[in-house]
Amino acid sequence: MTISEEKLSAFLDGEVSEDEGRAIEAALADDPDLQASLEALMAADALAKRDFAAMAEEPVPLALATAIQNAPDGAPANISTPPRSGWVIAASVAVALAIGGGTGFLLGQNSPTQVAQTGGWLADIADYHAVYARQVRHLVEVPADEADHIQTWLTGTLGADVRIPDLSVHGLTFQGARLLVAAGRPVAQLVYTDADAVVVALCQIGTDTPQKAFAEQTIDAFDMVTWGGTDSNFVVVTDEGRTDLTAIAETAARQV
Amino acid sequence: MSTELKRDLITLLPRLRRFARSLTRSVPEADDLVQDTCLRAIGRADQWDRSQPLDRWAFRIMRNLWISEVRKRAVRLGQGHVPAEDSDELRTTETGEAMVALGEVQSHIAALPSDLCSVLLAVSVEGYSYAEAADLFDIPIGTVMSRIHRARKTLAAQMSDPKDGAHDH
Repeated sequence: MTISEEKLSAFLDGEVSEDEGRAIEAALADDPDLQASLEALMAADALAKRDFAAMAEEPVPLALATAIQNAPDGAPANISTPPRSGWVIAASVAVALAIGGGTGFLLGQNSPTQVAQTGGWLADIADYHAVYARQVRHLVEVPADEADHIQTWLTGTLGADVRIPDLSVHGLTFQGARLLVAAGRPVAQLVYTDADAVVVALCQIGTDTPQKAFAEQTIDAFDMVTWGGTDSNFVVVTDEGRTDLTAIAETAARQV
Repeated sequence: MSTELKRDLITLLPRLRRFARSLTRSVPEADDLVQDTCLRAIGRADQWDRSQPLDRWAFRIMRNLWISEVRKRAVRLGQGHVPAEDSDELRTTETGEAMVALGEVQSHIAALPSDLCSVLLAVSVEGYSYAEAADLFDIPIGTVMSRIHRARKTLAAQMSDPKDGAHDH
């Protein structure tokens, strides 16, 4: 029986009948060329799976997640496709927001003031948390072992002193940092995880009018505790309903 | 219902973007398509059968939206009403240059044309059977088999000659 290469591919996918499968296995045992063809297809498939997996790990543009989260309920079922120019504008904002290839925000290509004009910075932080707390391989932009660089980089970007508090007393391990944009301003996001890999983020934004006292609130099911420092406002955020979030905030506040 | 649907769609975003990119072969267009897909799903939340996987429902919405867009463009470009699979739109960025230019993942699959890439993704990664993929893409099962094989052969050729295709990571 002559085995076509297409059938070989289908064999790889388990899409041949039992009889065909037996015939292919028998042919493979006797035909080194056929075996080599199968191995080449398997290698190609493994390559595709690897590339597709990498694609799914790319960070999602915040603008996209926000658009979905803010979509009105019962939106018209018949969407009229916007003109291409509209798509291009939307895309340029998304690109400005995209954190791709570990390069972080593509700041400088578009003014960050185009984004996050409503709802204050905490709503944006909640949106970020919804997206990034689920990242595994790309949880942070700069890893914890570059702590010195993180502090220099984010201090320079925010125009406010950024320090990395030790929160190990709460079982939290510093994983690294991201630069975000919220309410049109740069935000330092320091990312911590607990023993169960649940993310707790400490975010800092420079301000001339820092908040005076600690405050707890919940936005989009994310618990937050906010406070103000010398020239910054801070928030710790998590989505797991921790009972010690205020204590974490107090520990952080003593060190920042 | 809508809040739950939005949350689940946001969770699906990485896979929706990937499927959209396999269809459009362009990152900006993919994100537009994902957004339209999610808005359409939210608008039709009452049609969401929660006994069925949300991803498959969303993929179907996305595929239908994309085919509709392709047909509209074909008409605008003066090709008349052609079958979507025959439209130039599905063949214009076979080199994946648009994706590479945007600095996203530079991969071997970027060099696959849409009709091969999307079917390969559905079957090899998303777990569709050939029959399910045939239903999703509205093509015969034999065409599914043929496209998957051509996709793998194209990738295999790239592996044996890295210059003949996309860049490595």
